[in-house]
Amino acid sequence: MHEFTICQSLLTAVLTELKKNAWGRRRLKRANVVAGQYHRLVPASLKFAYKILTKNTPAEGSRLSIKSVPIKIKCNRCGWQGPTRDISFLCPKCKKADVEIIGGNELCLESIEIEDHENQSIPRPDGRK
Amino acid sequence: MKIKVYRDLMGANDMWAGKTRRLLASKNVKMLDLIGSPGSGKTALLEQTVKRISDKTRAGPLLARGRPLRSKQKGAPQAAALQMAVLEGDIATSNDAKRLAKLNCLVSQLLTGGGCHLEAKMVHYALRDLPIGKLDLVIIENVGNLVCPADFDMGENAKAVVLSVTEGEDKPQKYPTIFREAKAIVISKTDLLPKVPFKMKKCLGLIRQINSRAPIFQTSATTGRGMDEWLNWLRAFVRG
Repeated sequence: MHEFTICQSLLTAVLTELKKNAWGRRRLKRANVVAGQYHRLVPASLKFAYKILTKNTPAEGSRLSIKSVPIKIKCNRCGWQGPTRDISFLCPKCKKADVEIIGGNELCLESIEIEDHENQSIPRPDGRK
Repeated sequence: MKIKVYRDLMGANDMWAGKTRRLLASKNVKMLDLIGSPGSGKTALLEQTVKRISDKTRAGPLLARGRPLRSKQKGAPQAAALQMAVLEGDIATSNDAKRLAKLNCLVSQLLTGGGCHLEAKMVHYALRDLPIGKLDLVIIENVGNLVCPADFDMGENAKAVVLSVTEGEDKPQKYPTIFREAKAIVISKTDLLPKVPFKMKKCLGLIRQINSRAPIFQTSATTGRGMDEWLNWLRAFVRG
């Protein structure tokens, strides 16, 4: 369910950008998402949600690619900085929990890829050819 | 053709959370998001909280925060109890809201209809239906879940987590995000300690590994243990 909620705002973002950049004349090929591991999204679930939610929209048939970004922490005690896979957020050097998360909590639509050729049969809203 | 976008996907939720935060700040109301697994004793804790916090004799040093008293009786004693409301989040049924309504608590039931967490927009709309200008504190009881609610900002001032002794002492390790984000941690059902193999010392150690700052309250809604400390924290939370 969590992934569906996220995917709903992903779809809104994709459709807005698609309308803005392609005037409905170019097909969306791919949406690229950057997901920090702090959000613990399950890529397969997000892709499943994307497939379901894009049905009957201009984004139908496009692919979703998810770039996973590892969590990066900074220790306030010893100053260690780096990526971690341990989600209990202990500093690997001094084993203290006084750490700050400095990366890996982003979640955004990074880019969209659209077809190079416009479908000329669909009129542009601004009337230009 | 690739078009760079960089659009935040939590943006829609965060926008409503921001609206809520501004609304609360303008009315000088504090909001707490109470999170815990299903059956961890969130509603029982709230029942006891409601009973005690509206008891003027226990109100302690909080003197209506410099605002006129809302008591209907003229010349009422200067100590004022906190005015609180609860937003009950559940997947189905209004059982929990009914439990709290019995105690004359102002309560709204929010049903997600299957959703695993509340969202900021739901909370914002529910808040607008409350007489928010007359309140000091709003507590959201989120849907029983330690995973998703941790990720969603409701516009609250703090999150608090409830862990019951029947769940096992390793919960903080298994769900570190919420234990890390919590500003207060309640260990509930401590009256059951003689009956369950729960290692309190180990649990406290695991919590401290993840969160070195949040106060930990060992409570029992049945015996009333730890409730005074919890209420004192709540009062300080409302004041601060």
